[in-house]
Amino acid sequence: MTGSEVAAVGVVTGWGQSAVALPPDAVRAAAGRRVIAVEPPRAAGERFRRATRECLLGVAAVEALLREASLGPEAIRGDETALVYVTAAAYGSSNRAFIQAIASSTLHFPYTAPSAVPAEVAIEFGLTGPYVILIGGAAATIDGLWQATLLLRRGQCRRALVLAVETFAECEDLWARGRWLVRPPLVESAACALVVPGPWRATYAPAPAPSPLEALARARAGETLACAPLIALALARAAGDAGPVMLTGEWRGRRAGLAWEAH
Amino acid sequence: MARLRTEPVAIVAAGVVTPLGDVDAFWSGLVTGTDAISRIERFPVDDLRVGLGGEIKKLKRERRGGCRASQLLFAAADDLLARAHLDAAPPRVGVVLGTALGGVEEGEKALAGDPSARRTAAALYDGPARALARRLGCRGPALTVSTACASGATSLGVAADLLRADAADLIVAGGYDILCRFVMRGFDALRSLTRDRVRPFDRRRSGLLLGEGAALVLMARDRDARGRRLGRLLGHASAGDGTHIAAPDPEGRGLASAIRIALAEAEVGPDDVDFVSAHGTATPLNDRIETAVLKRVLGARAGLIPMNSIKGALGHTMGAAATLEAIMCLLASREGVVPHTVGLEERDPECDLDYVTTAPRAARPRVSLSTSLGFGGCNAALVLEGDAR
Repeated sequence: MTGSEVAAVGVVTGWGQSAVALPPDAVRAAAGRRVIAVEPPRAAGERFRRATRECLLGVAAVEALLREASLGPEAIRGDETALVYVTAAAYGSSNRAFIQAIASSTLHFPYTAPSAVPAEVAIEFGLTGPYVILIGGAAATIDGLWQATLLLRRGQCRRALVLAVETFAECEDLWARGRWLVRPPLVESAACALVVPGPWRATYAPAPAPSPLEALARARAGETLACAPLIALALARAAGDAGPVMLTGEWRGRRAGLAWEAH
Repeated sequence: MARLRTEPVAIVAAGVVTPLGDVDAFWSGLVTGTDAISRIERFPVDDLRVGLGGEIKKLKRERRGGCRASQLLFAAADDLLARAHLDAAPPRVGVVLGTALGGVEEGEKALAGDPSARRTAAALYDGPARALARRLGCRGPALTVSTACASGATSLGVAADLLRADAADLIVAGGYDILCRFVMRGFDALRSLTRDRVRPFDRRRSGLLLGEGAALVLMARDRDARGRRLGRLLGHASAGDGTHIAAPDPEGRGLASAIRIALAEAEVGPDDVDFVSAHGTATPLNDRIETAVLKRVLGARAGLIPMNSIKGALGHTMGAAATLEAIMCLLASREGVVPHTVGLEERDPECDLDYVTTAPRAARPRVSLSTSLGFGGCNAALVLEGDAR
């Protein structure tokens, strides 16, 4: 089988746990707030004492996925699970902390790398399979979902996690300067999709216009950058739509599309 | 797991900017054993334990410039375009770049009091790739990969995927990173930088030094390359360690897995590998683990394959490193010479492979293996085939 499908999506946002927590209208629900911060996830013990908030959010998204799929962590452990991580901004807070010497200790520096988030996720869940990290907003997540389908087709993994994390609170002033990049409310989010072999053929191409799912995710969740396509998938699934799906995502003028269609 | 056959992808041409210079100077510097490490002059380093690095001293700045990272990319692109043309429709030409640091120096400036929106936007890690795509007029996919110091390998793999999937006809792919206070402070704090010279696989090795650069290759589907090529990417793979945020897995399991998968994708075995370009950072841990992994994966063949690290000459150029090393592999095939490992004088008994030392070696590798490791347990392997003259 060379097709694929999304088996489950875990979502954590500033609006709460899962896609069900999303308001009908994010702009109205924000009531003028520029950033909707996510509650700090529970710090899971000594191993995470140095982990940044974005690392903890990444772990929380995978935990949410496992709950959604009714799977235990052993179901994803090992070298047959690929990890594709995407973010536009979740390195900003750790970079800022290091630059401004809020956290300039020896051990903080490795956490400034975007690879820190998937590293903590990989350590926590024992993921040792193929690995891709893409930087960008929703268009990069479409690229990442497509990469996941390729890894499956090439037989390099049996399943792939596509993880996105976005945080804004620590760099709210900087995002206010780059107003043309984002439209408030900026909603902190982490989301993870489990992509497995399935009946649908994935077609990847530039997209001329937003899909209905892209528009829905924007309206319900607000600005979630790289998390948006995964939230769109979660919304589709919550609506009982696990069949053919057309996803699009835009970032800085580039819109990519991925269609899961019948063979 | 059933594997889908993957077609090779042509590497048509290369362009670089390094502390040694463009592609020609890079190659001649490697074969003459030039040490490009110097005192860093572009920003203050007096407060750091180590102020040395592979700094590019002269860089042509464009008036409509952008950040230093973009300037490095523009210089490498000029070198590339002097050797090859982007002869495809702009929407069919993509850019895929790897970086460990993106535009972080712009973030430093933004936080130091420059309130401009342009500066802030340039701090995003995908800014330089977008700037290069704009400058080249490429309107195809523009992707930024950030698998830390393996980024320059992962980017070539992602570019190959895009070509095989017909998402583009040409891809300008590669990696870059600059020396800046941010990264020097970080590695200085980690005590990873040596006060000695960089000595990959040497028993006296005591750490790495950083360098800066940009390395680009023009990639096309092999069937479209019409004979003009420097070589081919036969296989690539990545694998995570899942063990530590900054240190490699003690057994090198992720690296071993990446090498095995890349060789399988390339449909070559250990006996086919003629040359290994090692990550070879000269940290005590990396070089020992990498040696052990190569012996485990390649078996008895490992000791018979010439191997080098170019980080003794350039420093560790982070996001650029793996692409520079891939280019070096292809130039070695073309020129019939394997550059030696600058700084390696007294081999570590635990590092007992056939490192090329002291002088370049006459050899014309057909198939090369290039390995890369990065923070966060990122490991990558490329299998390349050179086009001998």
